[in-house]
Amino acid sequence: MDAVSKPALAFESAFTRRSIIASYFLVIFLALPLWWKTTSIERQALPVSRVYAATGRELAFPIHVALDTRNCEVGTDTIVQEVRHHVENNGEFKQNGLSVEVSSATATANDYQVVLRPGTRDPIVDGRKVTVEVAPEHAGVAALQLADTLATLLTPYTSLRSSQAERVVTYSPRYRLAFTLLNEDAAAGNAALSWDVQNALAAQLSPLLERLSVLHNFTIESQVQYHGPLAFEPRALQVGEQIEHGLTPGDLTVFVNSAEWTLSSSVSNDPVLHFVAFIPSSKHSPLRIVDSNGLPTSSNAFILPQWGGIIIHNPQSTGIVPTLAGRPLDTIFATFRQQLSALLGVPELPPHVHARTRGVAGVTDWQLDALVRRRAAENAASAQDTLQSIVRLVAQIEDMPVGEDVKGDVQDALAALDQAYSTAPSSSTEALTFASKAQSVASRAFFNPGMLALLYFPTEHKWAVYAPLFASVTAPLLASLIREVLAWKKERKAKARGPQPVDSQRPKAE
Amino acid sequence: MRLSVKSFLCSLCLGTLAVARLSEEFNEELHLRPLPDGKLAARFSFSTLLKGATPRHPETLGVEDESQLYTLFPLALGQILREYAVTELHLTLNAGNWNYDRWGYPDEPGVGTGAELWAWMGEGGTVTVDSRWRGLRNALAGLFCASLGSLDEQRTTSPVLTFQPEGSLPNGNASYQLRHATLPSEHVCTENLTPFLKLLPCKSLSGIASLLNPHKLFDADWHGLGVHVRYLESAGVEVRLAFQAVFDPVRAASDKRRDWSLSAVFDRRIERVCPVARSSVIRVRLPQNEVYAIIPSPSTMDKTYATYIVQEVGKPLDVAIIRPEETLFEYLIEPQTHISVHRTLNGASQHAGQLALTITNNHDIQLQTGYLETMPWLLQFYLHTLHAHIDGMPRDDLVKLISYIPPLPHVQPALLQAVLTLPPKTTLWLTMDVVKPFLAYTEHPPDAQRGWDLPPAVFVPFASQNGSETDSDPQLHAVLSDVRSTRMYTPVLLVDLATPDFSMPYNVIIMSCTLIALIFGMVFNLLTRQFVVVRVGEQSS
Repeated sequence: MDAVSKPALAFESAFTRRSIIASYFLVIFLALPLWWKTTSIERQALPVSRVYAATGRELAFPIHVALDTRNCEVGTDTIVQEVRHHVENNGEFKQNGLSVEVSSATATANDYQVVLRPGTRDPIVDGRKVTVEVAPEHAGVAALQLADTLATLLTPYTSLRSSQAERVVTYSPRYRLAFTLLNEDAAAGNAALSWDVQNALAAQLSPLLERLSVLHNFTIESQVQYHGPLAFEPRALQVGEQIEHGLTPGDLTVFVNSAEWTLSSSVSNDPVLHFVAFIPSSKHSPLRIVDSNGLPTSSNAFILPQWGGIIIHNPQSTGIVPTLAGRPLDTIFATFRQQLSALLGVPELPPHVHARTRGVAGVTDWQLDALVRRRAAENAASAQDTLQSIVRLVAQIEDMPVGEDVKGDVQDALAALDQAYSTAPSSSTEALTFASKAQSVASRAFFNPGMLALLYFPTEHKWAVYAPLFASVTAPLLASLIREVLAWKKERKAKARGPQPVDSQRPKAE
Repeated sequence: MRLSVKSFLCSLCLGTLAVARLSEEFNEELHLRPLPDGKLAARFSFSTLLKGATPRHPETLGVEDESQLYTLFPLALGQILREYAVTELHLTLNAGNWNYDRWGYPDEPGVGTGAELWAWMGEGGTVTVDSRWRGLRNALAGLFCASLGSLDEQRTTSPVLTFQPEGSLPNGNASYQLRHATLPSEHVCTENLTPFLKLLPCKSLSGIASLLNPHKLFDADWHGLGVHVRYLESAGVEVRLAFQAVFDPVRAASDKRRDWSLSAVFDRRIERVCPVARSSVIRVRLPQNEVYAIIPSPSTMDKTYATYIVQEVGKPLDVAIIRPEETLFEYLIEPQTHISVHRTLNGASQHAGQLALTITNNHDIQLQTGYLETMPWLLQFYLHTLHAHIDGMPRDDLVKLISYIPPLPHVQPALLQAVLTLPPKTTLWLTMDVVKPFLAYTEHPPDAQRGWDLPPAVFVPFASQNGSETDSDPQLHAVLSDVRSTRMYTPVLLVDLATPDFSMPYNVIIMSCTLIALIFGMVFNLLTRQFVVVRVGEQSS
């Protein structure tokens, strides 16, 4: 069979055919970016360098201490020099970002004032002023004693044990305080049917909440429950003539029976601190907390870290009390107040320092300032951590979309963080506001629901959809490419051997 | 001793002060009545009154709310009411069809199958009624473990005529809006009862509530729970938690007699009183014209009711009714309500069908009834085909005052309201053609082949507007005053919509890819292949 060539058809030249094949590849090549763009996920560039630049930055709080030594015979300049020296050598200040400056100038409203007086009494705190009395025979160590007192007052958290630090709740601008009067079994006798919570709150808690309003807002709610069974049986103890019931330290950890006690709050995302006054049923009355040796302790209240406080109220006489009020309720709420300030991280005054006006709020300016500084530093550090986590996470998971809102939140958080750093020297409360804003915006970015989208539609899925089209289209394209290349090689070989008619280099159509 | 007396006095005076400030009151009641077909209807009602309280005004939503200090009032519900400034709220979760013909009118009118939620909310403030309605749905869904979150805009209507507020609305000049939605496919079970019981001051551990035994309640022929919040101008905010069930003592008894007792019906007795209940009452409707014995002896008793004050009678309390002379109970079937309604969906095709209602007037006098359909857009009415017939004769004049809000597919349901006139002792046939839409692939629920539940229609029989006619006829007057303006719910319907093959998207992908590949191959071949003429004949010759 001999094929007769038809050179009349111009488009059947080798050049045209090759151009056609090449144009297919060209189209594919040009379409690749479009395909890439339409199937790729949105990943905005995060300000990674700024996030890492913020690492390790700490809030700096300059502190002015005015030393008043008029009532002392000691030379002002020498003692200022000595205190300065001791303060500089004390690492605790630096650790907490405090740069303490001691001078003998008169104090302004925001400065801390230290009055040195001869005497033997313990230091007394009044507002931002502390009066330190130094016995004449100890005049030589007056500066050291002063520096120590300053350290315990300005950085009260360094001496905190870790168990105490862990019970402090994480910062939130708003907390719900839920007070519950919980009767174990009101129908079995021994119960309080209601409580005068309004007056108790006003008398015991309002001053503290007012004082802490710089840091937090509070929503208060209360309820009374009449049936709150325990999930375990307290052990019986023989104390003298009568039987008592005891809660071991192990029992305390499982004391809250979340299945039966309706304590949870459902309408808002604010963290809730629970305060429960538990009245045991007549079957378990009186109920005491026992130590690890099984001996009853005098304590009747305990804190569940990060959750709230519980007080076990054993009434003087068994029976049903229509309304719990007056002194027993005040005692309960005084305990709630202590538990609340412990949970919120209010530092205690050092044992040897006394406050002049103890007041009900019981929080001096020194304590409040220390708390504000600590919360600000904590928020700034946690905002930094969260931002770094976002950056690391995004770098780690390549399929994770990063939307415009996440990027905006990260930028906002960084801006707020910068503001916190810049305002810290002038006002610690403003620094706290910005740091807390940075933290909340950063965690909003971290929990952005848009970042989860592609976890449910992985890349493999995409390939599964495109494979049926691409595989069947690519096969003839590649085959023709290989064929053309082979033909071209053959042509070149033929050319090298010598001129020959070049009509049909390709295998003939059959 | 002196000290304790003093402190007691002190606590007493403080106590009275506290009571004077804002007192709360809890009342519980159990109403038991035999039904004509031998069943026993039980209705628990637990009402807590927050005296002197007013619902939150929507304009105060932006500002700090007052502290919520409750004693008896359920805190979890109070928080929701204040967060979304709800004035009146009704939530019912029911299982089964209430059989009006056999059982008569229920004690609690809300007996529609599945979930029904309706609320009256004030307007104003920065937050719109619709966004508060959405928040309320989701909050209640979380509280009662029910899928109320699906009561979205596609099921929400505002049928103000049928669902009038049961309490009062504060500030008469402020405007209020109604939101109503039903979810007939909601299944009610123990996960809904447990949070319900937790809202009660005495849970199910003492008082009348201790009878609420899930094993027995969910074994009942019909059961439903309800939460009703309303504001009473003179009293305060009232929360009423209700549980209603229809038990079958005949089914449970081995000797097929109707005798019942609390321990037989609930498998529990009342052992202890709830210490905070102001009143705790069991009312038993006594059988008429029969020989019976009731034990123990009630606190008070008249011809129709025996009443037990739980605090006063001896415990454990186990009320029982015994009919010594009855050997085997014979069922008696006679319509118990003024009208009987049946609703069906006819037609086998997946495209069109016909909605048919038969409404029977069981009385010798003419009655009127309001008719309400809140139909999701899954079923679309051809309103011009709405026709009424009596014994095959067209009587379109009996359907009056039709108001209709057409559905918007994927957006809002249809709302059809009409007033029907029912001549005495006749059956009215009402028919209307409907069309079933196609749903998007993603709109189908899991188990799409089961079909969609359609909400019940609601009928409200009411007195004729022609007052003189009513007054002139004492018999008519008696019947109409007996016609409670209560809502009657029809059973739900199941509609079968065209369901796709759910592997369809992948089939489509494969098919279109194959076609494209074929076309591509052909075109590519044509373009690149060389065509030559093979002269077969010439060579051979």
